[in-house]
Amino acid sequence: MTTEEKDILAAKGLSRRSILKGAVAFGAVTASGFALNMAMPGAAEAMIKKLPKKWDETWDVVVVGSGFAGLAAASAAAGAGSTVIVLEKMPTYGGNSIINGGVYASWDDKYHYRNNLGLGVDSPKQHSDDTLKGGDYYNIPELVDVMVNGATGALNWMIDEGDAKIRPTVTRAGGHTAYRTHSAVAGVGREYTEALRKMAEKRGAKIILNSEVTWIWRQDADPKSPVLGLEVKRGRRVLNIKAKKAVVLASGGFSQDIKMRMAHNPRLVPEFNCTNQKGATGETIRFAQAVGADTLQLNFIQLYPFAEPETGILDTPAVYPFNGPGYGIVYVSKLGKRFVNELERRDVCAFAQINLGANMKPTWSIFSRPMVLKMGGSYEEIDAGVAKGRFVKADSINELAGKIGLPAAALADTINKHNKYLEEGKDPDFNKPITKVMIPLIEGPFYAVSQWPAVHHCMGGLRINRDSQVIDVFGSVIPKLYAAGEVAGGVHGSNRLGSNAMPDCVVFGRVAGTNAAKEKV
Amino acid sequence: MKKIWLLLMVFLVTFSVLCLGIDNRGAEAAKAADSGKGAKATCQTCHADFAAVIPKGHPAVKGSDLTACTSCHAPDQTGKAAKNAFSSRMHLAHVAPKGNQDCLVCHTWTSGKSFGLKGVKGSFGAPNKEDVAMMKEIFASWGGSKFMDNLHAKGNIGCAGCHGKDLPKADDTVENNRCLTCHGPMDKLVKKTEPKDFKDRNPHKSHLGDIACTVCHKAHGASKVYCLDCHKKFDMKIQGEKAP
Ligand SMILES: Cc1cc2nc3c(=O)[nH]c(=O)nc-3n(C[C@H](O)[C@H](O)[C@H](O)COP(=O)(O)OP(=O)(O)OC[C@H]3O[C@@H](n4cnc5c(N)ncnc54)[C@H](O)[C@@H]3O)c2cc1C
Repeated sequence: MTTEEKDILAAKGLSRRSILKGAVAFGAVTASGFALNMAMPGAAEAMIKKLPKKWDETWDVVVVGSGFAGLAAASAAAGAGSTVIVLEKMPTYGGNSIINGGVYASWDDKYHYRNNLGLGVDSPKQHSDDTLKGGDYYNIPELVDVMVNGATGALNWMIDEGDAKIRPTVTRAGGHTAYRTHSAVAGVGREYTEALRKMAEKRGAKIILNSEVTWIWRQDADPKSPVLGLEVKRGRRVLNIKAKKAVVLASGGFSQDIKMRMAHNPRLVPEFNCTNQKGATGETIRFAQAVGADTLQLNFIQLYPFAEPETGILDTPAVYPFNGPGYGIVYVSKLGKRFVNELERRDVCAFAQINLGANMKPTWSIFSRPMVLKMGGSYEEIDAGVAKGRFVKADSINELAGKIGLPAAALADTINKHNKYLEEGKDPDFNKPITKVMIPLIEGPFYAVSQWPAVHHCMGGLRINRDSQVIDVFGSVIPKLYAAGEVAGGVHGSNRLGSNAMPDCVVFGRVAGTNAAKEKV
Repeated sequence: MKKIWLLLMVFLVTFSVLCLGIDNRGAEAAKAADSGKGAKATCQTCHADFAAVIPKGHPAVKGSDLTACTSCHAPDQTGKAAKNAFSSRMHLAHVAPKGNQDCLVCHTWTSGKSFGLKGVKGSFGAPNKEDVAMMKEIFASWGGSKFMDNLHAKGNIGCAGCHGKDLPKADDTVENNRCLTCHGPMDKLVKKTEPKDFKDRNPHKSHLGDIACTVCHKAHGASKVYCLDCHKKFDMKIQGEKAP
């Protein structure tokens, strides 16, 4: 707190302690119109804030963030007849969602691809078991339950009402025990952000870009005290927006917020690349904390093991290593040797690389043409990637080794051994669970793509319940405040399984929007 | 040769005397305007003779105030996306960095109610104090920055060219259609920036969908290729990216 601010408090006969203690007393002095603020004294956010005297805009439901979760919430709330505005601080919509890899885990889909392609069995229960195991059982079970049971419905919702298109295949990805990962025709998350955007706008929701939320208005920490609205910076203007029914926070993760990620997970130093868009920072989590919200597991931050090694972006080729293991893709080090069970979870794959040593960057994924379509890829993507030099193509493993600078004999030996393991159904080196649909690297052409871990996803965040309501530090629901998607924590435990973020975001966005629309005005 | 030097000296001395005098006389003119609404803009405090400032071949100008100009050069109140040479030239000559006149030398203004031109009917809007302060700041940028606003100023495009009829607000933005009136059609623009090797690395055809021109092209600040935020290795340039 600055001296000036302290003076103001002193003049009013208040101390910081009395503010924190005296939530109820505070309610009595509404005339002075202070807003609740539990921020640390001295922090930029800790200044005394006066509740706005007038509101510049009023909406039933105010959504923060225009990714999967925000757009799903907006579609659901607007569909239920509420007036809805989506506030996005960036000059483009879609957040991490629009640049995402477009892979979506769901035990079923409206075309029943897994079943029809003879790819084994699956169920919401099996999806839940994998998710809990992959998260080392740090997951909040009731949240996992909502995700796995809502995943298929939410996918079909985007297909039926938003015209989203999926490829006719299902893959088995790291940490999953079933073929349940669906790929989008666009090959990226835009397939679904466009579907959801159209759905939301058709139902009357407005998406406003360049609008950064800078505060959450709540009068006090009384469990009955609702969130009132938001302070927003738009261009050179600061305005206050009232939410008659509810505020839905769908502002994503904080992987680009280096200070915040290191405060919770100090080994994620600035030298790590990051797959996220620039706006993936954690201010809304801090604002929510300042009005009483609880958080959990903020230290659980995931590295994507297969990002483009130089810039850290997750481009289309960088999705192939993730989609390939179920069909026999092999990861090798610079020495031409395998270093991990390719069907392992992301944290294991990432740290297996980091532990090879800093001068071992990059590692490589090796796959072949017969795998491409099965693993959700396309020949156009392959050709484009080869032209750009992201994929390296060769007719033999020997030639491939030469092109990417790996010792040819070592690579050939590794691949031959792996082929034999597939044939024998057993991987004595890394214990990979071999399945019949895995393809040995015998028939070419062969491809290689380089990879290295980059900071990717925040498993932790705001504490929510199964209705997507935000919970305060004492365990009470904060009235009229919802959170959905990556900004919320607890669904994925210590490690998110790949392709589980999409169902998380869309399902909880839908839940939040539906419940927000039901709130009393 | 000597003659030219002499002329130049005389010119410079006269010019600096004029310049030094401008501030005061401008303020006086503004004061006069404040005191009497509808008062006339006294151009004569600076321009004893309009002949010195009008282009060669321009018919003789009678009168001593702004209406001498506006009677022929009627201010455009339609807000077309078009060049407006007269308005641009007038503003460029009178605002920083070339001039240093207060808006109220020529304009009438009642905060929150109206904003017009002296001796001319009609109001352009109802700006308040902050709005006018912002317009002044932005006019200075338009007049002398290295940004896109100055590139437009040099092409005789003023505020209305992009912002339309109403005076710009603090959260104003410019719609793509407005830009495309002059810079379009979109297909042509896409074609123009299509790289020979990889067609999908086209800044005008983003994988982020139909994005706003203003994502990269900033009028009153440094323009920036948004693609480069993530695609750090792309070789892309943009005009108006330098700090002033
Ligand atoms: C490159 C990449 C690829 C991925 N691929 C996959 C995949 O294939 N499958 C999968 O399941 N998961 C994937 N993930 C993870 C998944 O995409 C994200 O977890 C998900 O997109 C998050 O969605 P969201 O709606 O919660 O947040 P986002 O989509 O990130 O949207 C949040 C939005 O809120 C905005 N915002 C933040 N703060 C404010 C503020 N103060 N005011 C206003 N707006 C604000 C942000 O700018 C952003 O646009 C991927 C992630 C990345 C980065």
